[in-house]
Amino acid sequence: MTEAEAINLFKCLADKSRLQILKSLAVEDMYVERLAERLGLTAPTISFHLKKLSDAGAVTAYKNQYYMMYSLKKEIFQTSILEILQQESDEAQKQAQRDADYRQRVIDAFFEYGKLKSIPTQLKKERIVLEVIAEAFDFDRMYSEREVNIMIADFHDDFCTIRRDLVGERLLGRNGTEYWRIKNN
Amino acid sequence: MDERQQKFELYLDEKIAACKQRTKLLTEDDRVDEGNFEKVRANVYEIFRTILSVAERTCGKDDLAKRRFFLQKAEQIPTGWKTSYKDAKQHGDVKKMHIEDIKLDTVQEIKDMCMQIWEETT
Repeated sequence: MTEAEAINLFKCLADKSRLQILKSLAVEDMYVERLAERLGLTAPTISFHLKKLSDAGAVTAYKNQYYMMYSLKKEIFQTSILEILQQESDEAQKQAQRDADYRQRVIDAFFEYGKLKSIPTQLKKERIVLEVIAEAFDFDRMYSEREVNIMIADFHDDFCTIRRDLVGERLLGRNGTEYWRIKNN
Repeated sequence: MDERQQKFELYLDEKIAACKQRTKLLTEDDRVDEGNFEKVRANVYEIFRTILSVAERTCGKDDLAKRRFFLQKAEQIPTGWKTSYKDAKQHGDVKKMHIEDIKLDTVQEIKDMCMQIWEETT
């Protein structure tokens, strides 16, 4: 079920009359007039609701002699809400793009000609800045503290704070006096 | 204002109030679509309530002219609704069909009531 389909279904279900129709169809398949009589609504009103339910994929229709019978589409209701929530969002790509744009704005604001102008006070921004600095380090290589300090000093004079924060943010690993770049997902 | 006009106005006012009350109750009962259908019905009564006032202003004390004016409008106005219903039916637009059906049903009921009131007191 796509996100749009899920929204359509939930909207459709948020109506007492439609819920009553579904409850009736859960008992047995029915035709419009029978539902109208059972629920105390007019046949055109029932038809209207059935069309909405059908468009949302909640009911299906089939011809039985003179009557158009409606039945519950059980497989739709066997889907758990958690499964729907776990579906990849149609918005995922847009969200990723917005995140990338934000990241670029932070980088543009805090770096000038490859130098860090200041250490951001906001943790989210500092994380982005630290990720950029961490990219200067190779994976699968050990660095001495002196090497780390020199490399960080290329970005900013306060290499002690940045080195400590790189370790704190788990971008660099530390074992005694040696450092290495940690692979993050 | 004559007795028939008063009676007809009262009928329309009561219908409008009843529709509004049903809209409120249906909406509170999580039956929003049906509540909206009641709004459609109330709109039709309101249109003809206005037409009745116009008939009064246009025709003055001529009672037959008022009735004629009103029924003429009750024939003219729904022609668009009938076309709309046919178009909706052609395209399988159940919602539109239902709305146009409500409007046509309501106008028929108003026409019947108009004739009934005028005949009763003639």
